[in-house]
Amino acid sequence: MNEEIGAVQEAMERCGYIADPAIATAVFLAREMRRPLLVEGEAGVGKTEIAKVLAQMLDTELVRLQCYEGLDTHTALYEWNYQRQILRLKIAEREGRDPGQLEELIFGREYLLERPLLRAITRRAGPAVLLIDEVDRADEGFEAFLLELLSDFQITIPELGTIRAEHAPFVLLTSNRSRELSDALRRRCLYLFVEHPGLEKELRILRAKVPGVDEHLARGVARFVQRLRTRDLRKRPGVAEAIDWTTALVRLRRSALDAGTVGATLGCLLKDAHDLQATGPEALAELVAHAAAPG
Amino acid sequence: MLAQLARFGAALRAGGARVGLSDELDAASALRLIDLVDRAEVHRALRIALKLPPEAWELYDRLFEEYWDGSPVSRRDPPPQAWSQEQRRAPQWHWDGSRVRLDVPEDERDAPYGDTPGYSPEPLLRRKPFEQCSAAEIAELERLLARLAPRLAARRTRRLVPVRGRGHADLRRSFREALKSEGDLVRLARRARALDEPGLVVLYDTSGSMDGYTRMLLAFAFALRRTMRKVEIFAFNTSLVRVTRMISAIDVVSSLEKLAAEVPDWSGGTRLGGCLRDFNARFKDSVINRHTTVLIVSDGLDHGDAAVLGGAMRMLRERAGRIVWLNPLLGDARYRPETEGMRAALPYVDHFAPAHNFDSLAGLLRHLA
Repeated sequence: MNEEIGAVQEAMERCGYIADPAIATAVFLAREMRRPLLVEGEAGVGKTEIAKVLAQMLDTELVRLQCYEGLDTHTALYEWNYQRQILRLKIAEREGRDPGQLEELIFGREYLLERPLLRAITRRAGPAVLLIDEVDRADEGFEAFLLELLSDFQITIPELGTIRAEHAPFVLLTSNRSRELSDALRRRCLYLFVEHPGLEKELRILRAKVPGVDEHLARGVARFVQRLRTRDLRKRPGVAEAIDWTTALVRLRRSALDAGTVGATLGCLLKDAHDLQATGPEALAELVAHAAAPG
Repeated sequence: MLAQLARFGAALRAGGARVGLSDELDAASALRLIDLVDRAEVHRALRIALKLPPEAWELYDRLFEEYWDGSPVSRRDPPPQAWSQEQRRAPQWHWDGSRVRLDVPEDERDAPYGDTPGYSPEPLLRRKPFEQCSAAEIAELERLLARLAPRLAARRTRRLVPVRGRGHADLRRSFREALKSEGDLVRLARRARALDEPGLVVLYDTSGSMDGYTRMLLAFAFALRRTMRKVEIFAFNTSLVRVTRMISAIDVVSSLEKLAAEVPDWSGGTRLGGCLRDFNARFKDSVINRHTTVLIVSDGLDHGDAAVLGGAMRMLRERAGRIVWLNPLLGDARYRPETEGMRAALPYVDHFAPAHNFDSLAGLLRHLA
């Protein structure tokens, strides 16, 4: 194994993120090749967390752009502070100044509202980590716009001219695969698909994320959740759910899983009415028995 | 090493994974950065750099073993296992042993007229196969079709675009306008949700075996064109012709005569696969995007190579939003889609529907909008 990949893995772990080699390799390659990293996977597998840990690791700012349908450049990139501009104009009018001279003033940087994308490329103190979250939710038109930004890291504002990135940010995109992203965007990035963690990895995550958790309980939870994911569910519980559940159990001062507690707290894991109904008492009993079995 | 990578990329492509030259270049850069002795690391890094989604992992693992594990590479052509077709939705039809059954939702099947309110044509005429209709009946059906098409509603996106008149106040633009008049708000700008117009590409089989249906189906295509701005119509039999602008929707009969004169081999045999491949090469990139519905109207009787047809369908499938195949023969209870061409094409078809009478066309509208 390349030592640097090992170093990335260790650094991520120090920040509380248990990264398997695939994740560490992807982060390493994206950093070295200076390419955005597109992360896909089911909800709750820790996609967004990668960006947070990365910012922590590089000791830099995390700039986050949450995507949604209808997201436009004025929310994502920049906006002029019109209210302030008009106020300035009115004051100038009273002073009897020629409004023509004011133009340069009111279209200056101090009247510009920075939105996440602009913020990410204009950061002076070194490269930021730019997280473009759930990019599959934005319209395709926005994807095309992103593509341009991601290849040049420069933005043109008609009134101001072109702004170039001082430091190209480290870009992470996440997608829940609600739709296929364009080939062009995919090609621009490196690609990582995050799966639900295996038993040992999940156990390590629980230990790291829920301080003071009883070893026996953590193992029980991990085995239970692993088994639960193999069932036919509409929405399989992610690591985030497993952590929530463990925290709840610790709070309830349980040191082992029993059918009653599991039944009462199942809402931490399953967040779909259909899934809750489909996981009846017998299924729970079987899962609890599996979780308790040694080995 | 690079040659090996190129062979590996080609094998992945042949297996149906979308791997382009730029992906291979990325893979090459990645290989320079990692520990080449560590097999698992090479495996991980190539998968990341080639941008392979989980659907392609099985193929990737198989080929990786073959190409990177030191075993001499002998097989030039990997098995053509197209993973991309398996991830798609299951088609809405099944074979029940004796004939094709369309998996139509219950309400649709029970109420054949219920979903198209607003007019009351002769039920008998609506169900009569086109090839049995008289000229007067055809004219009547054409009128019905023309009234049907406006029901194709376009979806509104959540994206807001400037509009005149009604809409949310757009303060941003209002203020911007106000700057022109030294800060006085003269007019309030407004914006509203944009219309997402669906596109439609009709690929039309004009071979002899389709003669009985040609007129009605073209009338259908033109009725659609009246309400959807983005409609392109292509006719094919032994070669492909773009006919969108050749025809007037007002007079289908004279248009058909004009077409028959201009389209080579009208009413001749079909070279389905070849024509689709031709379409992909010449028009695919300009007329098809992910919102486009491709409507193929053909009986699937192909005189060409079925593998060519399958390959062309796969390319189309990767690009288009939806593929609807209309087959007039499907209206006949005795028909089975067993021709080689039809079987090669069906895995890539989202909706396989009959098109032999008015009702079947009316029912189709929901799949186009």
